[in-house]
Amino acid sequence: MEAFFAALEATGPAQYLRVSRWGYAAVSGAHILGIALLVGAILPLNLRLIGLWPTIPRAQLLRVLVPVAAAGLTIAVPTGILLFSVRAQEYAAIGYLQVKLALVLVGILSAVMIHHSYGLTLEGANRGRLRFHALISIGCWLGALACGRLIAFAVD
Amino acid sequence: MKTSLLTAILALSLGLHGGATLAHHGWSWTTGDNMELTGIIKEVRLGNPHGILEVEVDGEMWTVEVGQPWRNERAGLKDGDLSEGAEIRVIGEPAADRSDRRLKVERLFLGDREYVLYPDRD
Repeated sequence: MEAFFAALEATGPAQYLRVSRWGYAAVSGAHILGIALLVGAILPLNLRLIGLWPTIPRAQLLRVLVPVAAAGLTIAVPTGILLFSVRAQEYAAIGYLQVKLALVLVGILSAVMIHHSYGLTLEGANRGRLRFHALISIGCWLGALACGRLIAFAVD
Repeated sequence: MKTSLLTAILALSLGLHGGATLAHHGWSWTTGDNMELTGIIKEVRLGNPHGILEVEVDGEMWTVEVGQPWRNERAGLKDGDLSEGAEIRVIGEPAADRSDRRLKVERLFLGDREYVLYPDRD
């Protein structure tokens, strides 16, 4: 694993980002854009699944918010890998990052499982199943956001 | 599923280990008062998001946080100026938690030359 992280740090993009001012700023900005889209979509989506805004048609809301959340994830993951690659060995040892990655994984798995079973608009899923997913999802993504931010500030 | 998820998170949290010497954003973790250290650079890790030096000061190792590449360059530092074996004098704020021998540099001296990383700070 150490060798893998060292190899990651030696890649061209990692070396470039380690010294570049605006390149690094652009990638971290894009990472934040991805998180903004993802969390910004997933919160109202899950609150609707829990029971908020009962008069708003669920399927229509999901048709907008699921692709937005997926787009956010698609931006956040590769930019996150790039940011990680700059100091892979040090980051890998940080507890907050490990917890964050576990939460991201569970969040993705939970979404894949429920949409695999019930499709994009979750037709036919019962209320308990929707709530279970929604609570896991909110917990995972807010937790991942918090852990991600703590990497930069907290003394571990 | 709920239980195994919680177990996984708990296991990971308990597995948190220190040893990483990443730097930190901002100044909220420092004392607010400056101190000065003089020592020999033992290890150099420069680059985004922060540059880090391990400096031996009177037999103790200190983690000394310098700037990102652009900030170091703006201060007049060239590639190789911060190198292992060099003597360095740094002025900045230490971590409020004094068991953590860590200092964020505001200005530094190599020989007689001063390099100011944060011109707006005292």
